[in-house]
Amino acid sequence: MSSKVVVSAKHVTKRFGSQVVFEDVTLDVHKKEVVAIIGPSGAGKSTFIRCVNRLHPFDEGTLEVLGHTLTGGGHSPSREILQDIRTRVGMVFQTFNLFPHLSVLNNIILAPMEVKKIHRQQAARQAMELLALVGLEHKAEMFPRRLSGGEQQRVAICRALAMDPEIMLFDEPTSMLDPELVGEVLAAIRRLAQQGMTMLLVTHEMQFAKEVADTVIIMADHGIVEKGPAAKVLDAPATERARVFLRRILKPTEVAAEAAAPARGRF
Amino acid sequence: MQAMFSAWVQYLPQLLRGVGVTLELTGLSLVVAVVFGFILALSRLSHIRGLNLLATWYVEIIRAIPVLILLFTAYYSLGQLGIVLSAMQAAVVTLGGFYATQYGEIFRGAILSIDRGQTEAAAALGLPSVAIMRRVILPQAFFAILPPATNQLSNLIKDTSLVFTISLADLMYQTYSALSLNFLPMDMLLLAGIIYFIFYLVIAKLLGRWELNVQQSRS
Amino acid sequence: MHIPILTIPRLYAGVIAQGAVKDLALTVVSTIVSFILGTLGAAGRLYGPWLVKTVIYWYVEIIRGLPAILQLFIIYFGFTQWGIDFSPLTAALIWLVAYGTGYGVEIFRSGIMEVPHGQSEAAAALGLSRRTTMLRIILPQAYAAMLPPLTSFVVLQLKNTTLLYLVGYADIMYQARLGTDATEQPGILYLMAALAYLIMSLAIGRLGYRLERRTAAYR
Repeated sequence: MSSKVVVSAKHVTKRFGSQVVFEDVTLDVHKKEVVAIIGPSGAGKSTFIRCVNRLHPFDEGTLEVLGHTLTGGGHSPSREILQDIRTRVGMVFQTFNLFPHLSVLNNIILAPMEVKKIHRQQAARQAMELLALVGLEHKAEMFPRRLSGGEQQRVAICRALAMDPEIMLFDEPTSMLDPELVGEVLAAIRRLAQQGMTMLLVTHEMQFAKEVADTVIIMADHGIVEKGPAAKVLDAPATERARVFLRRILKPTEVAAEAAAPARGRF
Repeated sequence: MQAMFSAWVQYLPQLLRGVGVTLELTGLSLVVAVVFGFILALSRLSHIRGLNLLATWYVEIIRAIPVLILLFTAYYSLGQLGIVLSAMQAAVVTLGGFYATQYGEIFRGAILSIDRGQTEAAAALGLPSVAIMRRVILPQAFFAILPPATNQLSNLIKDTSLVFTISLADLMYQTYSALSLNFLPMDMLLLAGIIYFIFYLVIAKLLGRWELNVQQSRS
Repeated sequence: MHIPILTIPRLYAGVIAQGAVKDLALTVVSTIVSFILGTLGAAGRLYGPWLVKTVIYWYVEIIRGLPAILQLFIIYFGFTQWGIDFSPLTAALIWLVAYGTGYGVEIFRSGIMEVPHGQSEAAAALGLSRRTTMLRIILPQAYAAMLPPLTSFVVLQLKNTTLLYLVGYADIMYQARLGTDATEQPGILYLMAALAYLIMSLAIGRLGYRLERRTAAYR
């Protein structure tokens, strides 16, 4: 792992109105590092990675992304900076968000043509190569709604990669998929990790996080409760909060039985 | 019945002269309404507070006032302030200005109906906001816009009949002047009614069916 | 004759307010009658025999397809050709009810259709009669769905009363026109008329909004 820091959050706090989404999040992401963010729903994981490409503003702290410094409060970055960040940071969404009125191919080449002014033929050639990598080159002319969820998500990954990003953000990329379709999407993400892509990955797939991530972060109760090498955090978490969360995720039935039992305070 | 038909044959040319004015007025007003309506919609969606407020107030007030009063204001009252408009100009300003509020609300609703994820995904790809609107939002909103827009177009054609009150020689005006000469009000009004109804059927039914076909062929 | 502009509000406020009361009364009466007829019409359009469905369908299309003025003129002027002479008030009422019923049928019909089919299935599965299903299950839900279009419909009906001056009914517009002829001050008089309609329209909109909020609990 190179030591160059590409994303650096310092004491970042985000609120919606008076409600705290997360506070005092401090985190460095190095080049080629894969960071998995796990934690219970509502912990602010998705909102946090949306701050990285400034889809959401935040309230306090600073966030350095690829040499640009974003600050909290009312300051908006200039249009050029925003554009530069979003061009160099790719994102894949939980709900795919493919453009339903455009074919698979046109979904992928829209941004390269509009933003990078790449010629249509060249953009299409590059798109076909990306599609071939995920085994979907024969679906290029189809409209998104004709595709399965797994196929849509693989197209969405291609769409983000077509901009040649330096960092990829994944917002629970498999949580809307039927179980049998999860594997194909994870395979595509795994291949990216192996190629050395810097990634921030919000996920509920513990096994996958353990396998591909260098670093695992557990977010709960509006902040980071545990951070460290994947194996250590997932197998031997240091904090009580992380232990509770992991046990709940990995053995839901046992926890349910425990909750039903009156005995408490076993810790 | 026989008498009615012969009256129709005799007065049809006069009424058709009015149809030309009605269509010209409809076309000009539609252009004003769509362009100005789009500006209103963008203003109401914008985060610039003054612009937003101005557009909101315009829409709320204009929609609450009858078109006829707006028309008289444009034609008579503005003249008092030194802005003298011809009957055609006053009519286009009035109908365009009023229907801009209707089209503006249609555009705004259609834009808002597009899932937020679409904007997020486009923004995450680095598309600037103009391109997001032009390449992602509007193409999707277009098919939500068509049916209510057609509906408003048929309302617009019907409302052009109000201009006969300021002596613009449209279909209604020609009908009224014919019936005040020949004292055959029912014959003349029914003939005009048939012409207006044909417009309505063409717009509401044929255009509606075409839209449905286009929509179905795309899904 | 020149009358100082500032004395006009004092001179004409009274008659314009009287006209407003008359317009509002006509709106309320015609709205109530056309809601009743509209509900019956919607039931006939949805559940009646073929002939009833067809007749109601075309009635609605004709009311929606013809300009408001033309409809009013057919009733007031047209029928004189056949020896039927309505007073301005009678013609106004007939037209507002005929027009309102046409729009009412459409509003009620789409409101009823908006209630999911599962609701009548569930009611049938519980053994409720068709009548009970309609009155206790479908209509209360349809009513909630219909409130926004009903509110805009009442406003439309109020604005339609501006046309009644054309048949000599002494409403707001009639007073404003008379005043304009007497004082040559159209600006201030049409402004007063616009304000009167603005206040009434906004009040109706406000009322509709409050009713909507009350049904929001189960929507």
